[in-house]
Amino acid sequence: MATILIENLTKVYPPTPTYPQQVQALGGVSMSVTGNVFVAVLGPSGSGKTTLLNIVAGVEEPTAGAVRVVQDGVPAQVGYVFQEPRLLPWRSVLDNMLYVQNRKSDRSKREAEFYLSMVGLSDVAHLYPAQLSAGMQQRVGIARAFLVNPDVLLMDEPFSHMDALTGRSLRDYLQRIWAHTRKTALFVTHDVGEAVELADRILMLRPGGVVFDDIPVNLQRPRRPDDAAVRAVETEVLRRFDSMEAAVRFGDQRN
Amino acid sequence: MAYDTSVTPDAVADLSAREMRRSVMSRWGLRAGVVIGWLAFIGVWYVFSGAVLGTQQLPPPHTVAAEAWQVVTGDGFGATLWASLLRVIVGCTLALSASIVLGMVIAYSAWWRGLLGVLTRFFVSIPTVALAILALILFGVSGLGPMLTAALVATPYVMSSVAQGLTGVDRRLIVMSESFGRTRSQIITGVLLPSSVLAVIGGARQAFALAWRITLLTEVFASSDGVGFQIRRSFESYDVRGLLAWTALFIGLMFIFENFVFRQLERRAFGGAHVSQATAESTQ
Ligand SMILES: Nc1ncnc2c1ncn2[C@@H]1O[C@H](COP(=O)(O)OP(=O)(O)O)[C@@H](O)[C@H]1O
Ligand SMILES: [Mg+2]
Repeated sequence: MATILIENLTKVYPPTPTYPQQVQALGGVSMSVTGNVFVAVLGPSGSGKTTLLNIVAGVEEPTAGAVRVVQDGVPAQVGYVFQEPRLLPWRSVLDNMLYVQNRKSDRSKREAEFYLSMVGLSDVAHLYPAQLSAGMQQRVGIARAFLVNPDVLLMDEPFSHMDALTGRSLRDYLQRIWAHTRKTALFVTHDVGEAVELADRILMLRPGGVVFDDIPVNLQRPRRPDDAAVRAVETEVLRRFDSMEAAVRFGDQRN
Repeated sequence: MAYDTSVTPDAVADLSAREMRRSVMSRWGLRAGVVIGWLAFIGVWYVFSGAVLGTQQLPPPHTVAAEAWQVVTGDGFGATLWASLLRVIVGCTLALSASIVLGMVIAYSAWWRGLLGVLTRFFVSIPTVALAILALILFGVSGLGPMLTAALVATPYVMSSVAQGLTGVDRRLIVMSESFGRTRSQIITGVLLPSSVLAVIGGARQAFALAWRITLLTEVFASSDGVGFQIRRSFESYDVRGLLAWTALFIGLMFIFENFVFRQLERRAFGGAHVSQATAESTQ
């Protein structure tokens, strides 16, 4: 069973020539996620969501605090879906999939083909990324993350660059493929509806990188964005967000 | 019908026909420019040869063309060309291999960047002629001198263009690779080299052009065969026609390599069109 344990995580970016002031991206985040749950991290842009995922993925170092991402006591394998597809432009779709695999065998190729079929891309496996639409490229990104048989799935606003209709159909693909594997998932988004549609639990971040709310979502799956129950939870989350905003503004006035 | 903005199939056909015509015209316009340029050059040559310098000092283009034709069809042309070409290819390969290694070192280590920067600045300030003479002193009259001189002179230039290609790599693809646990060598062969392949081909092109010129120059001093040696022989026997014929042949060869061999390579490399298009999209 996979566990993500984060304690008092802080990240401060030093000043850069383009922005000559240090930036606190995360200001002491703590959370614990265990088992086959889908957790959404919800926050406005600039609240440190990408930074959080990068640290969990091990591609960025925290300034302070502790992160443990383990599967049965050993470091967990992560699968990362980025905000942009991040495919290698000089490799075909299938070769992009094979790039992240450790073994090269007939079986690994069949696995790659299986996950491509899960996102409806069997027919374009031989094409190059530039020959696909943005939505199809992102589906390759999703299939690639599942292909490494991850213990933990990290997703960074994977649908935010899509138009609304494409995003809707991609969330459908994601729900289906996630229901098939039920990997521990950390899904970052600034879209309340998306968080409610996908997640079992929503962690809300506010600017400065601090968790200010932790909301369980106990709804049946599969969910549709227009279900009344989904809408109700969405309204509740927005209400809590507004109260946070008000608190932040009130705090500002006192300073 | 103030708001009728409907697009009829005819209008589309008309528009695309017009655009096609325009692009065809601009292409022909470009070609016409090239042709006019050449005609002007040949015209000026005739004027200088006939009215300014005299045909003894500067033979007119058709005489040189006839001489070049004789050289090409005469004995030993293949051998002469091959002698030079072999040196160019070896020199170019040496320069390119060194440049790929040094380019990587420069791209990823500030310390080496500093050191090689100083060496390069010192090196490019040595006149090539001095190196050619040095090659003659060190290696005597042999094929080795031109080859090594070419490699030595070309390397600093090619190295920095390879380094530039490598530092232009999309960082996000490297982060992606790391997050999926790819090793350093997998990232080098999977991301760094492919994404700098255009820079490497550009470097090869540069290396080739430099190697040709330097090989030729060094051959003038320190060789007993090759195109450079033929130019010197023509010069020593006051054979201006032969000198110009060999020079013209050399320019023609360079032109062929530049415009056909390397351009084709660039086009084919990893479906070049795909690469540049997709990179442009992903960096938006
Ligand atoms: N590499 C970096 N260098 C400096 N500042 C950064 C860097 N990455 C992110 N930041 C800053 O950290 C804050 C949080 O960024 P990010 O984690 O990307 O937020 P989000 O993903 O929620 O939009 C922002 O103010 C951003 O400008
Ligand atoms: Mg982000």
